[in-house]
Amino acid sequence: MSEETKILIGKLLRADNHTFVAGCRTKDLVAPALGALCKVRLEDGLEIYGLIGNIVINDDSLVRQLVSGISIPTEYTEDNRHNRNLPVEINVVCVGFGQDGKIYHRLPPRPPLSLDALYLCDDEELVRFTGTGRYGYFRHILRLEDQPVEEILTAHLARARQAHARGGRPDWYTGACKELIVLLRDDYEGLMNVLNALAELE
Amino acid sequence: MEEMISAQAHVIGYVVGGGLEANLQVRLTVPPQEVQEGSFVVVDSGGWRFYGLVTDLQLGSTNPRFADEQSEERLPRQLAELLHGQTLYTNLAVMPVLMMERGPELGTKEYSQWKDLHPDEAKPITVKTVPSHHSPVMLADAADIAQIFGTDNHAEIFTIGYTREQGHPVCMDLDKFVKRSSGIFGTTGSGKSFLARMILAGLIHANHASALIFDMHNEYGPDSSSSDTGAAVPGLKGKFGGKIQLVGLGAGTSFGKLNADLSLEIAQSDITSEDVLLLSQALNLNETAATVLAALERDFGQNWFSEFMSMETGTSEQDENGKSVPAPDSVEAWAGASNVHPKSALALHQKLGRLRSKTYLIADPATKGLKAIIESLEHGNSVILSFGKSNTELDYLLVTNLITRKIRDHWEERTEAFHAKKDSKVTEPRPLVVVVEEAHKLLNREMASQTIFSTIAREMRKYYVTLLIIDQRPSQIYDEVMSQLGTRISGSLGDEDDINAVLSGLPGRGALRGMLSKLQAKEEALLLGWGVPMPIPIRSRRYDDKFWEVLLDDTKGPKTIDEASRALGFGGDDTD
Repeated sequence: MSEETKILIGKLLRADNHTFVAGCRTKDLVAPALGALCKVRLEDGLEIYGLIGNIVINDDSLVRQLVSGISIPTEYTEDNRHNRNLPVEINVVCVGFGQDGKIYHRLPPRPPLSLDALYLCDDEELVRFTGTGRYGYFRHILRLEDQPVEEILTAHLARARQAHARGGRPDWYTGACKELIVLLRDDYEGLMNVLNALAELE
Repeated sequence: MEEMISAQAHVIGYVVGGGLEANLQVRLTVPPQEVQEGSFVVVDSGGWRFYGLVTDLQLGSTNPRFADEQSEERLPRQLAELLHGQTLYTNLAVMPVLMMERGPELGTKEYSQWKDLHPDEAKPITVKTVPSHHSPVMLADAADIAQIFGTDNHAEIFTIGYTREQGHPVCMDLDKFVKRSSGIFGTTGSGKSFLARMILAGLIHANHASALIFDMHNEYGPDSSSSDTGAAVPGLKGKFGGKIQLVGLGAGTSFGKLNADLSLEIAQSDITSEDVLLLSQALNLNETAATVLAALERDFGQNWFSEFMSMETGTSEQDENGKSVPAPDSVEAWAGASNVHPKSALALHQKLGRLRSKTYLIADPATKGLKAIIESLEHGNSVILSFGKSNTELDYLLVTNLITRKIRDHWEERTEAFHAKKDSKVTEPRPLVVVVEEAHKLLNREMASQTIFSTIAREMRKYYVTLLIIDQRPSQIYDEVMSQLGTRISGSLGDEDDINAVLSGLPGRGALRGMLSKLQAKEEALLLGWGVPMPIPIRSRRYDDKFWEVLLDDTKGPKTIDEASRALGFGGDDTD
């Protein structure tokens, strides 16, 4: 897929080595979804991959006023959707990077910069990134605290499973489940949470 | 070829821990139902192959909660299976027994270098180290079992049974088997007499040793029928013909359609005071009997029995003073003259009356039965002594002990003559196996110190005579005799004491005890002891027409000239 057809979902607001936040307009909030793989391409060719871990919609004083009113006229709601000044914040968990055509499931050497463009990865890229190595990027997700890890994982695995199945590797998902069980088998509660969430995929 | 087989071998798990003292722990990677207690497994590690026995299977979990909760009810099947695969497992306890150096991989440069340094064919040795972590564990294949137990050569290497899971043949070296006394144990119906028949058939067929079988129940010589199925059970005589001498105890012993080759009558002069003392319990002798017997032997020598039994009792006559005194040919008169208490002498006389009534005990036998038996055994035949109608415990104790003592004395003389080598015509005595059933009657704690059998068991092969004990109550046999037994073959045993007795003096008793107690009631046996390279449970070979067909198939005769000459009765020079 060429660079042009990739779906731009936002521009970087802030970043560090292991998370970054992009902003997008409210009306564009269709493509991004929890657990989706996205990437930022830096000027030197470094591509930083991340999973969408959270999408935050902040309020502002106008919204508060509107919400506290008795009724909100439709055009106000429409206006808020299209012309709102505050962006929707997309929190991304950094899971790896690409350099010189190779994929690494390590943290990138440096974070992306503000206003860098965040693109959604297509199936082909999803398969390429997740199919490299032995599910090493899971550790970045499992490290998250105060976040619904099992939900992010399940959302991600559901997409990746479909993409791999279409790409002729249906066993990828089995391997992923096995890896998660191995990684989490000393944490009974955590593992059962993940498995219960994954059970919904069947 | 061997490497190719091992490459295809079925890996069942990998080593995760353990040691030589405690068993090796092996994480099973196949369902536990594919492996059984007693399975023979091999472990490859660092150029060595280790051979061991599965002694236990243990279910485990990385966290007890994974085992406690029935997650298969909450999770989809595929996920539950994956979860169980990673969190629930079975560990095997493997008792390592032997190891053998195999060197680097066959066909590599390293292998040829190694082979130059180790030109001899590698032999399994007792295990002295452990395989590394994560070494693959496989079920032994036929080649592994043949490596350890040998391959049936239609002579002394004899197939005794098959491994339980995969049915690979397990062989026993009969030459080694007869080098020390051995035992076959098992409860009634566990098939020990079939096993004994097969081993005897193998021994007689291999023709490296003679067997003297005390057949208390008339089951080894003539054809009979199975007590369970009623099927015909061929006897040894019918199959080996002239190689077997059927001897009946006393004149007129019959074997159904077969006639005895020889009737054994025992001269009264052959009975010694020790023979009688052995029967103390059976005859209910008093403590004073020993004194009386000593006096009898002193006065009459070897004719004491006939002299004593011909004395009258209670007869008296008047002396010149008109006083009533015992008649000169009476027991009382002899007792008085020999300083023996008359009442003790009378009691003994009365009790020995039971022996005098035995038809096989006669003053002057017409035939030299005992001599004929010894000659027959020396010429390489085997002898089955049937007790016929005289099959009480008293007969059994008296006759087995008396005959065995005579025969062993003869072998002792022969051995000493052979070692002295004064006469170049003196050949090496032929190995002799004395087969005793119901051995606990002869070898129990009270009797063991007195019978010839415990002497034979203790002196091992010094005089070329060993025992084959067949018994259902090994716990009744004196511990010292049990611990001398080289090879032990045990069928199912119910009693804890019997199990302990069979395992006495063997390493790894704890692990073997479980295996022995869980043998099937029929057709399974555990091979143990010095005569087998390592303990192994087997499904015993069937004693049927096919057994005889295979055994007596002459087209599969011994292969080397040496074996052939030995099979023909010409001992090679290397038999020393």
